[in-house]
Amino acid sequence: MQAQSQEILQPSQSNDANELARRLRSQFSGRITGELHLPARPGRFRALPVELDPRLHQALKLKGIEQLYSHQRQAWESAARGEHLVIVTPTASGKTLCYNLPVLDAVLQRRAKALYLFPTKALSQDQVAEISDLNRLAELGVRVFTFDGDTPGDARKAVRTRGDIVVTNPDMLHQGILPHHTKWAQFFEGLRFVVIDEMHSYRGVFGSHMANLLRRLRRICRFYGVAPQFILCSATIANPGELASQLIGDTVTTLAESGAPQGEKRLLLWNPPVVNADLGFRASARSQTLTVARQAMRMGLRCIIFARSRLMVEVLTKYLKDKFDRDPGRPTRVAAYRGGYLPSARRATENRLRQGVVDCVISTSALELGVDIGALDVCLLSGYPGSIAGTWQRLGRAGRRNRPSLGVLVGSSQPLDQYIVRNPDFFLGASPEHARIAPDQLLILLDHIRCAAFELPFRQGESFGGGESLEEFLCYLEEEGVLHLENETWHWMADSYPASSVSLRSVAEGNFVVIDTTTGGQRIIAEVDYSGAPMTIHQGAIYMIQSTPYQVERLDWVGRKAFVTRTRADYYTDAIDYTRLKILEEFDSAGSICAATALGEVHLVQRVTGYKKIRYYTHENVGFGKINLPDLEMHTTAVWWRVAPETLAQAFPNRQQALDGFLGAAYAMHHVAALQTMAEPRDIGRAVGDGGSGWFARVETNGRGVMHNSEGEPLSPDAQQRFQPTLFLYDDYPGGVGLSQPLFEGRVRLVSAAAELISGCDCRFGCPACIGPILASDERRGHSAKEAAQSVLVLLNVG
Amino acid sequence: MSVKRRLAALNRQLPESPFERPGLALRIQRLRATPHRAARNPDGDEKRLRRALQGVEIADGVILIERRIASGSMHGSRSLGKVESLNDLFPDAIKLLPERLLFLDTETTGLCGGSGTLAFLVGMARLEREDLIVRQYLLTRFGGEQAMLNAVATSVRASDVLVSYNGKSFDLPLLEARNIMADVKSPLGSISHLDLLFPVRRAFSRRWEDCRLARVERLLLGFHRHNDLPGAEAPAAWFDWIQQGDDARLPLVCRHNRSDLLSLALLLPLLPEVYRNPGLYGADVSSVARLHLKAGREELALQLLLREKSNLEQAGLALLAGLLKRSGQLRGARAIWKTLAAGGDQAARVRLAKHYEHDLSDYARALDCADGLCESDEKQRRCSRLRHKLGEIDRQSRFEYG
Repeated sequence: MQAQSQEILQPSQSNDANELARRLRSQFSGRITGELHLPARPGRFRALPVELDPRLHQALKLKGIEQLYSHQRQAWESAARGEHLVIVTPTASGKTLCYNLPVLDAVLQRRAKALYLFPTKALSQDQVAEISDLNRLAELGVRVFTFDGDTPGDARKAVRTRGDIVVTNPDMLHQGILPHHTKWAQFFEGLRFVVIDEMHSYRGVFGSHMANLLRRLRRICRFYGVAPQFILCSATIANPGELASQLIGDTVTTLAESGAPQGEKRLLLWNPPVVNADLGFRASARSQTLTVARQAMRMGLRCIIFARSRLMVEVLTKYLKDKFDRDPGRPTRVAAYRGGYLPSARRATENRLRQGVVDCVISTSALELGVDIGALDVCLLSGYPGSIAGTWQRLGRAGRRNRPSLGVLVGSSQPLDQYIVRNPDFFLGASPEHARIAPDQLLILLDHIRCAAFELPFRQGESFGGGESLEEFLCYLEEEGVLHLENETWHWMADSYPASSVSLRSVAEGNFVVIDTTTGGQRIIAEVDYSGAPMTIHQGAIYMIQSTPYQVERLDWVGRKAFVTRTRADYYTDAIDYTRLKILEEFDSAGSICAATALGEVHLVQRVTGYKKIRYYTHENVGFGKINLPDLEMHTTAVWWRVAPETLAQAFPNRQQALDGFLGAAYAMHHVAALQTMAEPRDIGRAVGDGGSGWFARVETNGRGVMHNSEGEPLSPDAQQRFQPTLFLYDDYPGGVGLSQPLFEGRVRLVSAAAELISGCDCRFGCPACIGPILASDERRGHSAKEAAQSVLVLLNVG
Repeated sequence: MSVKRRLAALNRQLPESPFERPGLALRIQRLRATPHRAARNPDGDEKRLRRALQGVEIADGVILIERRIASGSMHGSRSLGKVESLNDLFPDAIKLLPERLLFLDTETTGLCGGSGTLAFLVGMARLEREDLIVRQYLLTRFGGEQAMLNAVATSVRASDVLVSYNGKSFDLPLLEARNIMADVKSPLGSISHLDLLFPVRRAFSRRWEDCRLARVERLLLGFHRHNDLPGAEAPAAWFDWIQQGDDARLPLVCRHNRSDLLSLALLLPLLPEVYRNPGLYGADVSSVARLHLKAGREELALQLLLREKSNLEQAGLALLAGLLKRSGQLRGARAIWKTLAAGGDQAARVRLAKHYEHDLSDYARALDCADGLCESDEKQRRCSRLRHKLGEIDRQSRFEYG
């Protein structure tokens, strides 16, 4: 909570973000494809409520808060009416006061208790520091405790029995609190408020888990005879009210109009220049980002750079450190921040950011949440973050304190990026995405019913959320032998603790730790999640931390450990993976004898086969390595397109061309699909294969499509008896999270939008912005992959 | 498609299913058991079980098994002695009436705790003159839990002190959780509680690999269990009964629980003896002495340490030296410090230096000792002070600058 009674709009300084924008415009006018200017906006204020507890009144006064922003007052009134509410306002608009006011008031006046849920531990700690500050100022005597994995055993009892406000995260609620609810009986009996901040982060799989976790929480609350009020906060998304009510299973009042003042903001859309017109190659987003970042830093502006991958964070950090942190005697100006660093290292970077001693931080999405990092002038996005909401959220990181700020969105050569920077009106005018969750996703629901049954026996006739029949699940679990039905009640019946085997964040268990053995000892230096491990810490990989390269000497898959040593390698590594799908069941289909689209269930195998070594600065390929790791397997839902072999034979002079066409079409469709479902590209997977386990295809480094058998050996398309390539788009999550269904329904629009993307592209033979990277020249290939992809799309457009 | 079939399809191919998939044996057993289950006759089963256990049904789903164990028929090499003052063990021990002690031990459906774990067997025992009266409440159905918990609460109300082994962190929290779940009001949370694990740990944790009750029985009570059902198998024994009416292992669980209670009752009077004569029982003398010291029994602590002096390790010797000094036996203390200092013990060198300096005013010896200390500011200060006292400062500076 910042002092917000007086607004000082600083006069434009010669070296502020507006000046940077002016310089960029004059030097690089050809690269700026769009611009958005938001003038500074004054705040709207309302008086503090008269009924506010006088002690709280005093505390606010001591903090310099004499009046409220209009939305804070609205939140107070809504909470007073006993409504569940969700507050959707920009970063730094004082949203924490929206919930702290009613909660603190209730604690002071009614000895109420409150539970605060933040998606991460870091955010919890910020929050406690903030309330403690208020507490200290006016000696409110409100007891605020964090409860997470770091809370020492002997302090836990005090938290449970004496805490007025307990701040925790979903994982701890799931594994540490609900399964031991009896120890928290006193707390639950007094529980009046549940605060859920950063609601927008509860989408997709995590959100579906969260909705079920809250079903469990409300069930426990009912047991203790309470029905707490929920106050949620969210960054801008299209459907905050809908998401909130899905999460908490009740109606919710939405407050979306901020009364907070806002500094002047400017956003530039930036397309890197074309460097090879034939291949449609543009300069990389990385190089463009560096150009702008260097200029900003030379002007003394503080900036944040968001990169899309952890690898790119490290590469960018190295380049900027090479430039600005060459003198080892001086404190570093550049820092990297991403998931996978140890919490202590991240806290240290956050502190240095707040103190203003870091001039440039390079981060993955890890910093888009509300971790307090102080005032920044410039936000650079190296590549489109994948969603409109995510873009605005990251841009919101700059200009928090009423100074002019500048955001630059640098498009990469990915189709989605190109679409965005080439059609500025689309992006600047588009509404943000819907956050979707599927609380009744079968496996997720089952996991939580299992946990709920452990917490309290289910009684016949009870319900758990909406859609599915609870009784069917309970019978299933009874047959599995974990529940026992007696006298209309299902009792837990196993020597186990189900929450420990359910992770809210992913499917498979077990993060990997990265262990440095350089100096002979063993020191844990990072963590990598299960799904990221095959790609990033396979044997031979170069794994980077704060741009220091480590080489992975050995990966202990079973023990979840990667042993690394420091290295001086002048290259980094990029893993190659492939995906094989087998159709299990068709739910629905459309089309004709010649070509058809279908929706159904598939079995998927993912394998990481090898990796490329890529030299710094030149980005040339300097070697390959093989990787031997277990396959990842899952069942999921998919949409697929196939063309009858005869039709295909008529349309293409040879099978190789058809194959290249399918691979190119898949690439374009994948990106359009992400845009259409408002999902991030990584939520959807794509593959081309025969739909059985005969063969699958991928684009080799020479840009040519190659068929492989299940052992990974190359096959010739012409050697196949029957050649029927199938193009798959699938939900990249076991059991699916509901993306394939809308894709199937929107199939006509999807195929035609992909065709438009390709025909509208300036390249001649295909490029990363339409059908994917093409390395082999058209002459060597003997045909145009771009045309082949277009032909395939014509065939697929079957309705 | 039914939920079951959809789940089966999804689960079949999942990598390393995070669910607790039962072992093959259990799955086969379960398959075999299915026809039995259909033919089950719960009432008949329970009657058979009551006969096997020689118990009576006190409420729906609860069997009470009562046994009197006469003092003469004790297991192992010990017998129920008189429970004398326990002040030595529990510094704040209340005046204990032996017949108001309640020994308690539970068998549960799991060892990980959490609200889904319940106690299916609660064993309680009390002393009646020289005999031990054991009462065990066994659940034959989930539905009996409330009645069982009420019976436990009644017994607890009739007692002054609970005695358990690891009950503070396991049995009691579990029972309290179940009381809340079943809405049973119980004095469990407020009754005095002697958890014998703590004194055993204090005396033996550095002597034994672990402090489990089984080890206590072997090494202190001279008792070896035969054909005992391992505690870890108790959950499965009860699940077999609930799911299949298979009561084969339940009598073994009850016997195991009775043995635990008996051991508790034997251990309680033995522990004060152990604390009076730790050396005799292979206990950690210095740790025991430290407890006596803390409780203000300095004389006793000193006696113990002196008696076991030849067996003491470094920390014990240091403690002994400190006590000797405090009681004015400076020579004895000095002798120990000298031995320790010779072995490189820094703390002992400091003590010795102080002793020479303050008690004996022998600055030369004190400096000798201080010189052997590791480099530190404190050492510098000590040495320069001693040199000053020795009047060496002047001489040395003349030597250096002159």
